[in-house]
Amino acid sequence: MAGAIPLERALLGGLGALFLAAPAAAQGTADDDGLTESVPARVLEVGLLRAVYLDLLGRPPFLAERETWRGRQLADLLNELVDTREFWERWTDEQLYYFLLIDNFRPRSERVVAIPEDLRSERIGVKEAIHRIVLSSSFDQRNPGPDTFVTVVMEQLLGITVQKSPRDLEIGKKLYDGGSGNFLGHKGNSQADVVKISIDDKRFLRELIEREYQRLLRREPNGRDAARWASELKRDPYAFGDFVKNWILSPAYEERLAEKIVQPNRLYVRTMYVDLVDRLPDKEEERRMRGALDGLSDPGPLRSVLARLLLDSGTARIPPKGEIEDPTAWVAGLFERLLGRAVRPEELKSFVTAFHDDACSPSTVVYAIVSHPEYHAF
Amino acid sequence: MKNNPTRRTVLKGGALAGAALLGPKPLWAASPPSARKTKHVILVAFAGGVRTRETLGTPDNVPNLKAMADEGVVYTRARTSNLGHFGAALSIFTGISEARGIRENARGPDPTLFEYVRKNGGYSASEVWMSTSGGAQQANYAYSTHVDYGPEYGANTLDGDGVFNQEFKSIVDSYGRPREMSKREAELLNKMRESIGGDTATGVNSAETARQVEKYILDELTRGTADLRGVNASDAKSLQVARNLTLIFKPKLLGVSLQNADVAHGSYNSYVEVIRRNDVGLGELWQVVKDDYELRESTAIIVLPEFGRDADLNARRGLDHGDGSDDLNYVSCVCWGPDFGRGKVVQQEVRTIDVCPTVCDLLGAKAKLARGSKLPKLFR
Repeated sequence: MAGAIPLERALLGGLGALFLAAPAAAQGTADDDGLTESVPARVLEVGLLRAVYLDLLGRPPFLAERETWRGRQLADLLNELVDTREFWERWTDEQLYYFLLIDNFRPRSERVVAIPEDLRSERIGVKEAIHRIVLSSSFDQRNPGPDTFVTVVMEQLLGITVQKSPRDLEIGKKLYDGGSGNFLGHKGNSQADVVKISIDDKRFLRELIEREYQRLLRREPNGRDAARWASELKRDPYAFGDFVKNWILSPAYEERLAEKIVQPNRLYVRTMYVDLVDRLPDKEEERRMRGALDGLSDPGPLRSVLARLLLDSGTARIPPKGEIEDPTAWVAGLFERLLGRAVRPEELKSFVTAFHDDACSPSTVVYAIVSHPEYHAF
Repeated sequence: MKNNPTRRTVLKGGALAGAALLGPKPLWAASPPSARKTKHVILVAFAGGVRTRETLGTPDNVPNLKAMADEGVVYTRARTSNLGHFGAALSIFTGISEARGIRENARGPDPTLFEYVRKNGGYSASEVWMSTSGGAQQANYAYSTHVDYGPEYGANTLDGDGVFNQEFKSIVDSYGRPREMSKREAELLNKMRESIGGDTATGVNSAETARQVEKYILDELTRGTADLRGVNASDAKSLQVARNLTLIFKPKLLGVSLQNADVAHGSYNSYVEVIRRNDVGLGELWQVVKDDYELRESTAIIVLPEFGRDADLNARRGLDHGDGSDDLNYVSCVCWGPDFGRGKVVQQEVRTIDVCPTVCDLLGAKAKLARGSKLPKLFR
C-alpha cells in the first residue's frame, strides 16, 4: 500500500489515490493530463519531522530516525510511516481513548488486539475496526445497561444528541433488551443490531472522517470535502491511510504547525521517554504515568516531577559536563531536538552562561527545557 | 428496598423541630455578602447517580449527611436532568443544564464556578481546588473553553485514584525521589526557563503555585492515600485528597466529585455500600473543618448528587438511570455553614443548577452566565 498508488484505486479517481483528485484543502498543481497533481516537494526540517512523527506515531523520531529522514522528502516519509504497524497501533489507541476504553476497560480480545495488523495488511478497513471495538465485551462493560449503551453508541458513533432524539433512544433500548423495533430506519432485535445499524448508518463514516481530520489538522473539514471523503471511504474501505497522507501534505497542515496546543498526556509520556531515554516507555510505565497525569487539570507540575524522576535516575542519555566540548553547539542541538526549532540568540546566551556556572549540570539545562510549557506543546 | 423518602422520614430526627425553634427568616433578612462569615466553600458532588431513598430516606446509611442536614438546610426537591453523569455533574459546576456526551472527554463551553470565583475574587490556583474520582473526564470540570475565562481561572484538579495509586507510587519508588536542588542551581534553572521565548499556552498555575502543587503531589504519595482500597476506592481517595487539601491549603473553594455509586447498574447492595462508605469519608472531611479553629467558623459545605436512579430494579437486580421517574429527576441538596439556617427543610422545588450561583454569591462572585438562581431560604 505504501509508495505506489494501487491501480484500482487510481482508476476509481477518488481520494484513495495519493495524488489524484486532491481535496480542495490539499491542492497542488494539476498536470497537463488532468489526472495527476503534483504536490510541492516539502523537505523535512527538524520541526516538521518532529510534528509528523508525533501526529502519526504519537512520539518524536528516535535519534537514528532523525538522522535518516532529516532533509528528505515529506511524501517519502508519509508513504513509509502509514504502511507501518506502529501507525495503525497509534490509530487504534486513539480510537480506544476516544471511547474511553483505557486501563481496566482496554479490550484484550483477539479480534481487537489484531486490529492494527489487520488494518496494515488491509484485511479490514477503519469501519470494520471500529465495529470490532464497539462489539467488544470491554465496550459493553464500560457502558452498562441499555440507556448508557445506546446513548453512547448514538453519541459517539453518529454524533447524535440523544436528548433531541428520545424516540430513537427508546427504540434502541428496546432492541438492546431483545425486543423488535425500527431503529434509525432499520429493523433489529438485539444489542448487536444496535451496533450494526449504527455502524452502517451514513452518519457514521462522516462522523469518523470529521473526528480524524479534527484530530490531525485541528480544524473542522470543509463540509463538501468531508462528505466526499465519507463516500470515498464507503466505496474503498482501505482509503483512510491515503486520506492521512493527503491531509498532512495539504496547506492546512502547514497552518496547523503554526498553532501549537498542549500535548495530550498520553503523547507527553511517550515524547518524554523518547527525548530523554531514546526509547518508548513500556506499556505499564506509559499507562501509570498517563493515568496520573490525566487526573490533573493542569498536568504541568506533575510532568515536571516525572521529567525530574527520569533525569535524576541516571537513565537519561545526557553526557557528563566534561565531555561537552562545545556548549553552544550542544545547547543549540537541544533546542532543535526537544523544541523542534532553532535556538534564539538571547536563549543561547542565557543557557550557555548558566552552563558555565559550577552549580549547573547538563541535566539542569535539559530540565529547564523539558519543564517549560513550550516543550509541553506540539 | 422500598424505602420511599416520605416527608416524614426526611424530617425525622429533629430537622423540623430545629426549624420550628429557630424560625425561618424572611428572604429580605438574609445577611448581605459583606456581613457573612463564609470565607470557604466545599461543594461535594455526591455523584454516580444517588437516590434520596438511600440517603436521607434511609438515615442509617448516611449518619454524617443526616447530622449535617440537621444542622443545616435541606432542599428535598432539587430538580435535575438525566444528562449523563458527566453532563449532569458539569451542570452543577456551571449552573447551566447542558447535554454532554456520556463519554465526552472535553471541556464545556460555559464557565465553571471555579472560574467565576477566581476571576472575581482574584484568587490564585492554590486557593481553588477540585478533587475528583472519575479519571480523565472529570478533570474537565476545572475550567471551560469560554473566551473570557478558561485555564488561567481554572481550579487545580487532582484525581485521587489517578495520581495516588500503588502503581504510580511504585514508579516514583523505582526511580527514586528527585534530588534536592541547591539554591544556586534553582536560580540558574529559573533564569534559563524564563529566557525561553517560544509559544506557550496559559495554564492553571503560575510558576509559584506550580512549585507548591509539585511539592504537594510528592508529599501526598507518602501519606497513604495510595493504599486505599474497596468498592468505593476512588471516591475514598477523592474524599481523602479533599481532606488533606483542606488541611494544607485551606482552599477558598474546593469541589469534590464522587462517582462509585454507579456500580448500582449491576448491584444494588454494592451501591448502598458505596453510599455508606462515602458518608464515612464525608464525615471525616467535615470533622477536619470542625476541628480547625479558622475553618469551622468560616466554611460552608454543600452536598448533592448529579441525579438519582430509576424507581425500580433492573433485570440484574441493579439500578439504571433512564426511567424519567421522580427518583431519577429529583435529588436532595444539603447545605451546612455559618450563615445558613439550622434544621431547616425546604420543600420548594429548586434546581441543581442553582448551586453554582449560590456558591459564587457566597464567595462574592457573580455567575454571570449561569441560568440557575440563588437557592432560596438558605440563610438564617
